Amino acid sequence: MTSLSSPPLAIIEEGIPNAKRRQRGDRTTKIRGMRAGTWVYIGLGVVIVSAIFPYYWSFLIGSGDASTINDPDMSWLPGGNFIANALSVVNDPAVNFWLALWNSIFSSTVIAASVVVFSTLAGWAFAKLRFRGRGWLLAFIVATLAVPTQLGVVPLYILFADLGWTGNIGAIIIPALTSAFGVFWMTQYLSQSVPDELIEAARVDGASMIRTFWTVGVVAARPAAAMLFLFTFVNAWNNFFWPFIVLDRQSPTLPVALSLLQSNYFVDYSIVLAGVLLATIPLLILFAFAGRQLVNGIMAGAVKG
Amino acid sequence: MTATDTRRPPTSSDSPPPRGERAPRVLSFSHKLSRWDLKFSPYLYISPFFILFAIVGLFPIAFTAVISFQEWDLVRNSGTFVGFDQYIWILGQPQFWTALRNTFSIFLLSSVPQLILAIFIAAMLDRNIRAKTFWRMSVLLPFVMAPVAVALIFSNMFGDNHGLVNNVLTNIGLNPIPWHKDPFWSHIAIATMVNFRWTGYNALILLAAMQAVPREYYEAATVDGANAFRQFWSITLPSLRPTLIFVIITATIGGLQIFDEPRMFDNTGEGGPAQQWLTITLYLYNIGWGEFNFGRAAALAWILFIIILLIGLINLFITRRLVRDEGGRGEITPRRRKRVQR
Amino acid sequence: MNSRAFRRGAVAVAAFSASAIVLAGCAGSSGDTPSSDPNEEITLTLATFNNFGYTDELLQEYMDENPNVTIVHNKAAESGDARANYFQKLGKEGLADIEAVEIDWFAEAMQYSDLLAEVPESAKGRWLDWKEAGATDGDGRLVGFGTDIGPQAICYRADLFEAAGLASTPDEVATLFDGDWSNFFDVADQYKTATGKPMIDAANSVLQGIVNQIEYTYTEPDGTVIATENPEIEDAYNLVVERAVPNSAYSGQWSDDWNASMANGEFAAMLCPGWMLGVISGNAPDVTGWEVADVFPNGGANWGGSYLTVPANGANVDAALALADWLTAPEQQAKTFVNAGQFPSAIEAQSDPAITDSTNEYFNNAPTGEIFAARSEAITVTPFKDANYFKYHDALQNAVNRVFDGLEDQTTSWNTWVAEVEAF
Repeated sequence: MTSLSSPPLAIIEEGIPNAKRRQRGDRTTKIRGMRAGTWVYIGLGVVIVSAIFPYYWSFLIGSGDASTINDPDMSWLPGGNFIANALSVVNDPAVNFWLALWNSIFSSTVIAASVVVFSTLAGWAFAKLRFRGRGWLLAFIVATLAVPTQLGVVPLYILFADLGWTGNIGAIIIPALTSAFGVFWMTQYLSQSVPDELIEAARVDGASMIRTFWTVGVVAARPAAAMLFLFTFVNAWNNFFWPFIVLDRQSPTLPVALSLLQSNYFVDYSIVLAGVLLATIPLLILFAFAGRQLVNGIMAGAVKG
Repeated sequence: MTATDTRRPPTSSDSPPPRGERAPRVLSFSHKLSRWDLKFSPYLYISPFFILFAIVGLFPIAFTAVISFQEWDLVRNSGTFVGFDQYIWILGQPQFWTALRNTFSIFLLSSVPQLILAIFIAAMLDRNIRAKTFWRMSVLLPFVMAPVAVALIFSNMFGDNHGLVNNVLTNIGLNPIPWHKDPFWSHIAIATMVNFRWTGYNALILLAAMQAVPREYYEAATVDGANAFRQFWSITLPSLRPTLIFVIITATIGGLQIFDEPRMFDNTGEGGPAQQWLTITLYLYNIGWGEFNFGRAAALAWILFIIILLIGLINLFITRRLVRDEGGRGEITPRRRKRVQR
Repeated sequence: MNSRAFRRGAVAVAAFSASAIVLAGCAGSSGDTPSSDPNEEITLTLATFNNFGYTDELLQEYMDENPNVTIVHNKAAESGDARANYFQKLGKEGLADIEAVEIDWFAEAMQYSDLLAEVPESAKGRWLDWKEAGATDGDGRLVGFGTDIGPQAICYRADLFEAAGLASTPDEVATLFDGDWSNFFDVADQYKTATGKPMIDAANSVLQGIVNQIEYTYTEPDGTVIATENPEIEDAYNLVVERAVPNSAYSGQWSDDWNASMANGEFAAMLCPGWMLGVISGNAPDVTGWEVADVFPNGGANWGGSYLTVPANGANVDAALALADWLTAPEQQAKTFVNAGQFPSAIEAQSDPAITDSTNEYFNNAPTGEIFAARSEAITVTPFKDANYFKYHDALQNAVNRVFDGLEDQTTSWNTWVAEVEAF
């Protein structure tokens, strides 16, 4: 194995001429040279089809009527009812759709942002800073992930009932503001993607800890932060049990509101699945935004100086 | 914080000795500030997390620990101390051991293929492909799907009588598979549901890490004549070591706590009439929220915790041995430092 | 976007989140302070699940009569969700002013009857005595307002019966099934011989029918567990395994396949309480052959039913009691029958013309009100169900499932059940 020369790196800072105009695609094409082959696309195609299939199947049922799901000869082409079903979801008085949608968007955004901020801070410390007890604390945090959360509702509810915060969207947000998972993720990512030389270079240039964090850590963490934001958002969005218990029915989140579509001895799945698809749309929009953050790593190129 | 003017590299007692020779400067007030900056600011960075975590994260855990030694009444919010009785009861239940078997089986059937597939998909996505954002985000689509939809889809697919898979099998002349009767096949079906949901997620985590590997490494290796596989094995994997550790540990923890998929596998949520697909967390949930016996459920949670800790440590050990750290930028161990040349 | 903009954006989001947290926390929750002014504006919350027939129009009637009251009706999707919610919050804050409780978990709730408000004297005696007895605790306090009951009849596919050479008009079928469970299974055997297909929908539905005719099933009122020694239970198990399992299309109900089978003729008859009619018509909207026969093996049995309870620590207990009283009054119970097929538990309601004259179009205009009233009168036995009843019963159902699925044979499955029960 050839010995690796020390990695040349660059920080795309505002001071570099033409930094903004440098196209990301350009760089990787020049560096990577060859384009991906057909096999890659075929492989990805298989992945995509299996990922999208369930959505298509849901759409098939959501565009049919109540008996479509039981129909053994269900056609593979969509029926015409999707808009009608979607409208009945949105207009159903028991399902406070727009309020639930707003509650979900608001709480999921706050939670995801908070988790990213706190996790990046703590992850930076665990990954790159030296302090007493670092190893033990990190191990402790990871160990807490091993305790199942299904029972956590009980003491949390007692806590929030005592505080008088039941029925309040804050009761959804506050327990989720920190995430051991997020800290672990940022720690591992930062320890892998930020070479110590970079930090030393910054220190040599006279930066304090916080400035080092700001110029090196936060910049390096961007792809991981985008990922963490996405994951946390989706988890918060789909969370059912705790919002069900702690919020009151007048101001639910979306999964709780949509579960009401199943309240009857007989369930019309075409409406339920239309609702499910509606609830996924905001997430898909988020994907489009967050996805751009994941397109390329930021650290590519030669180290300065 | 003001930028201090020191030229001295960080030298707290835990950090590795500085590379190269830099003469220490004279101690000054700003230097002292800088030392405090070094020593205490890490605690400032982690304290927001810990403060919040202590309240909403640790409190439930401590509560669970306390009530695991009690006969706890949810409504009256009180309990009588019974020592280890709840633990002993659980360990004496055949259902517990069945659930343990199921949990391990589903864990292995899901984690191993999932991780291999995730690495593979991440490697594909790391390549220079057109419409990157589209491909990368679409592998995450399964993760987003609401559980009720996943449950419907897969129970339709794996229905014993009318499911899609059995229909296809009978059409090509094979026997239908008893998905809801045989333990092994139920594990396969559930592992499929789990893999469906989480493979894309793990792939993106690995992708984010792969993106941080400098391209110059690959360039140099290509120049030296290494093929794609060699590059992957010798450059990508070692650089991913911290992330691989992360993925394997979270997959272990998550895999041993699988709950939603077995619960949705049939409409009773009990893991099958003979507990064919009852996992430990599902068993825990049914004891806690089904019978409202929270003391017992808490004891089971802690038994699971110990199991996860053990398996997690084993997996961590295996991963560290398997994946060499040559290309990584993590902590510099003394042994490795000698090999790195500046 | 470049890194500076990203960092700025990150700061902005963090600041937004921080302020949002503070604001959300400060908002606090609204709590009603108890008041004694009868005309004060109050809001009552009513929590139900599935479908109790409490339509907005019905609730509006009450609000018109009592202008100072606003009713907010919350529904949980299923009984299971409502149950988790109920026991999480009972005795603490967070329950609605009126909470619906299903009979399945009502016995569990009765353990905490001291946390429930007592039904006013004026309403006592309104319900069937066994319904009221189920809601009376050891101190004689009646703490539940009965809503509906589930007297069972037999729903069957007239077209399939005809094809099998059996009687097919409701009256004839009533004569056909009139008798005991043995007779019921004889008919099932006949059907199977004629068509090769099972007649019954699910073995555990039959188990339920049989067990709901036994007075002391798994425990006695003083607490002794008799489950494994009770010959009636063992006989019920054996009867179901030997005669129902071979004649049933499924082991349990409520699966997707079972839902689909109402339309595709996999079975031809099922035990049905009033609330099952809506399930059948919903799952098989295009099938015309479903009918209801006024008959049940051994006369009748009750399956299901609910109560309304008023948590004693609520903010508006008196007003809530008044509303619950009104909702379960005979007139209103007749209306919920028309709305949702909930068969009333109030004695007077059962002779209300709205019920006695009602027919169900889907079931070929069967006089469902009369049918279920007759079946209700035929109920002779009310099983004693305590808080542990459903644990034992559930395990017994699993025992039947194991035999149905071929996992264990009859004796082994029974022994497994015995072992499980002893460990409880």
